[in-house]
Amino acid sequence: MKNLKLVARETQTGTVVKVADVEIGHDFIVIAGPCSVESEKQILDTAWAVKAAGADMLRGGAFKPRTSPYSFQGLGIQGLKILEKAKQETGLPIVTEVVDPRDVSWVAEFADVLQIGTRNMQNFSLLKEVGSAGRPVLLKRGMHSTLEEWLNCAEYILSEGNPDVILCERGIRTFETYTRNTLDLSAVPAIKELSHLPIIIDPTHSTGRISLIASMSMAAVAAGADGMIVEVHHKPQEARCDADQALSPDMFANMMTRLRPLKSFFNNLPPAPIGKKNLVKVRQK
Amino acid sequence: MKPEEIRKKTNKIDRELLVLLQERMGLALRSKKFKETLCDPQQENEMLARAERLNLDLIKGTFTRRLLKTIIEETKRLQEEDRSLAAFQGEHGAYGEVAARRLVPDGAYIPCLEFIDVFRGVEDGYFDLGVVPVENSLEGAVTQVNDLLTTTDLKVIGEVKVAVSHCLLAIEATDYREIRQVFSHPQALAQCRNFLTRNKLESRPYYDTAGAAKMLARENPRAAAAIASSLCAELYDLEIIKEGIEDGASNSTRFLLVAREPHPDNGDKTSIIFTVTHEAGRLYAVLKLFADAEINLTRIASMPLRSDPGNYSFFLDFEGSDKNEKVAAVLKEMEKLTKWMKYLGSYPADKDS
Repeated sequence: MKNLKLVARETQTGTVVKVADVEIGHDFIVIAGPCSVESEKQILDTAWAVKAAGADMLRGGAFKPRTSPYSFQGLGIQGLKILEKAKQETGLPIVTEVVDPRDVSWVAEFADVLQIGTRNMQNFSLLKEVGSAGRPVLLKRGMHSTLEEWLNCAEYILSEGNPDVILCERGIRTFETYTRNTLDLSAVPAIKELSHLPIIIDPTHSTGRISLIASMSMAAVAAGADGMIVEVHHKPQEARCDADQALSPDMFANMMTRLRPLKSFFNNLPPAPIGKKNLVKVRQK
Repeated sequence: MKPEEIRKKTNKIDRELLVLLQERMGLALRSKKFKETLCDPQQENEMLARAERLNLDLIKGTFTRRLLKTIIEETKRLQEEDRSLAAFQGEHGAYGEVAARRLVPDGAYIPCLEFIDVFRGVEDGYFDLGVVPVENSLEGAVTQVNDLLTTTDLKVIGEVKVAVSHCLLAIEATDYREIRQVFSHPQALAQCRNFLTRNKLESRPYYDTAGAAKMLARENPRAAAAIASSLCAELYDLEIIKEGIEDGASNSTRFLLVAREPHPDNGDKTSIIFTVTHEAGRLYAVLKLFADAEINLTRIASMPLRSDPGNYSFFLDFEGSDKNEKVAAVLKEMEKLTKWMKYLGSYPADKDS
C-alpha cells in the first residue's frame, strides 16, 4: 500500500466529514431512503418517515446505473429537484449517486454528498471530477475490489483536493448465492487500521434480503462502523427498483429502536486502540 | 417532421397565441383610459370584414369572424371589470411585476420600457398605479427612480420588499449538460457568478432578466439558458433547472407603489425628500428633530442634485404617519430648517420584510 499518501492512517485521530450538522466519523450515522426517486410524494413520505425514526440523511437515486438498459434509469434532474424539496422540508441532507462526469457539477448543485456506486468505483475520470466538485463523496467499494484498490480510488479523490471521503462497504462477490453479495464486515476494522477515512456499511445491497438487514446493521455497530446506508421505501411493494430489498418505514423504525441502545452501549466502552500495525507506525514517528 | 416534433410545435404555437392574446387584452385595458364609449360597432365591423378578406386557405372567413367575435366579447368583459392598471418597468416577468403582483393583487400589469414611462403614465392618467424599485440590499439606490421621485409629483402609497431569487431557466426538455451560454441582465449574471463558473457557463449580457427569458422562449437559441425570476418560468413556459442560484446572501429589492393621490388612511411609514443650505450643522439640525421626537428613521440616502451640481437632496423614510401629532410637529418644524421639502406620502409598511 505504498502509494497511499493521503488516505493512509498515520495518527489515532480519524477524519470527520461534516455534512450540515451531521458528523460522519464521530457517531454511528444512518442514511436512509429509497433506491431511486420515483415521485415527489414517494420521496417526501419516505423522508418524513425516516426522519421520524431517527435517520440523519436522506438517500435517493436520480441517475441509476442499472444492470439492464431496459430497467428504469432514474428521473435525472427532475429527481434532483424532488430531493432538494425534501431537504428544504425535512432538513435532511441529501446523498445521491452520480454516474456521469458531465453531471457532477450539476448534481453537486442539489446534493450534499455525491455517491460513487460500486460499478463506478474505478471510473477514474469520474473520481477526478468529484475530487474537485467541492462536496463530500461517498465511495462504495467495487464488488470485486480489494481494499488496496478501493483505497487507491479514495486516493484519487483526495489527490484532487477533496479531503471529505466516506468509504462504504456494500458487499463483495463470493460463491454464495443465497445472499446477493457477501458483506465483508472485516473491512470495517481493516480500513480503520489502514486509513483515517470514515467507513459505513450498506446492509441492503450486500445481503439483498430484508430479513438480514437488521442483524447486519447491529453487527456493523459492533464492528466499529461509522454508520450505514439503508434502503427504505414508503411502499416497498410498489418500488420501481430493488422492490424486494427495501425496508418499509415500520421495519426501519423497529430496527432503529433496537440500534439505539446498542449504539450507546458501544459508545460507553473504553475506546479500542486502532490496529496493531498502525500503532507501530505512530510510535516510529 | 416526426409526430413528436409536430406535437411540440403545435403546443408552442398555442402558447404563443395565448401570450399574444394577453398582450392584446393589456392594450385593450389601456385604451379604456382614452375612450368615452367602450365599443364602436362601425370600427368593429370594418375590422372583422378586413380580417375575413385575408386569403388564408386553411382558415375560413366564417371561422375568422367567429374567433375574433369571441375575442372582442372577452375584451369587453375585461374592460368592464374594474381593474387597476399597474405599470412597471421591464418585460412581463420582471422583478417589478413580481412586486406589482404583491402590491396590487387583482391588477392588470402593464410593462413599460423605462422608469420615466411609468411615472409619466401615472401622472397623465394612462395608468392608475406605478411600481418602481428604490433600492437593492446589495447594489444600493436606484438613482433614476430616486431622481424621478424628486422631479415628478406622484405620491407613495405602498411598499414591498421582494427577495431576488434567481432561477436558471431553459426551454422544456433542454439537456442541462448542453447549456453553454446564459443570457441575463449584467447585474443578475454578476450575482450568480460562482454558479456560472462552477458549471462552466458563459455569461451573455442582455438588457433585462425577463427580456432574456422572453427571447429564449421565442427564439430558442442553441445551448442557451436564461437567469430570471420564477414568474418568468410561468409566463414563458420555461423549465426551472435550478432555483436560488445567486451566490452568497440573498438580496432583496424594495419597491414603492406610486399614485396621483395620497393614501387615504393613516399609514405607518412616511417618506420625504429635502434639501438644506450648504451651511455647517444644517443636516444635523434636521436629524436632531427626529432624534428628539424619538422617531425611528428607516432609510437615509443622499443623491446629487441634477439641477444644482455640488448640492444634494436627502431621502428620509421613518416610522409613523403624517397624521400622527408628533410626526406632524416635526414636519412643521422641518419646513423652517430646509431649503426645499417634498412630502412623498404615508403608507402601510411591508410587514413581511
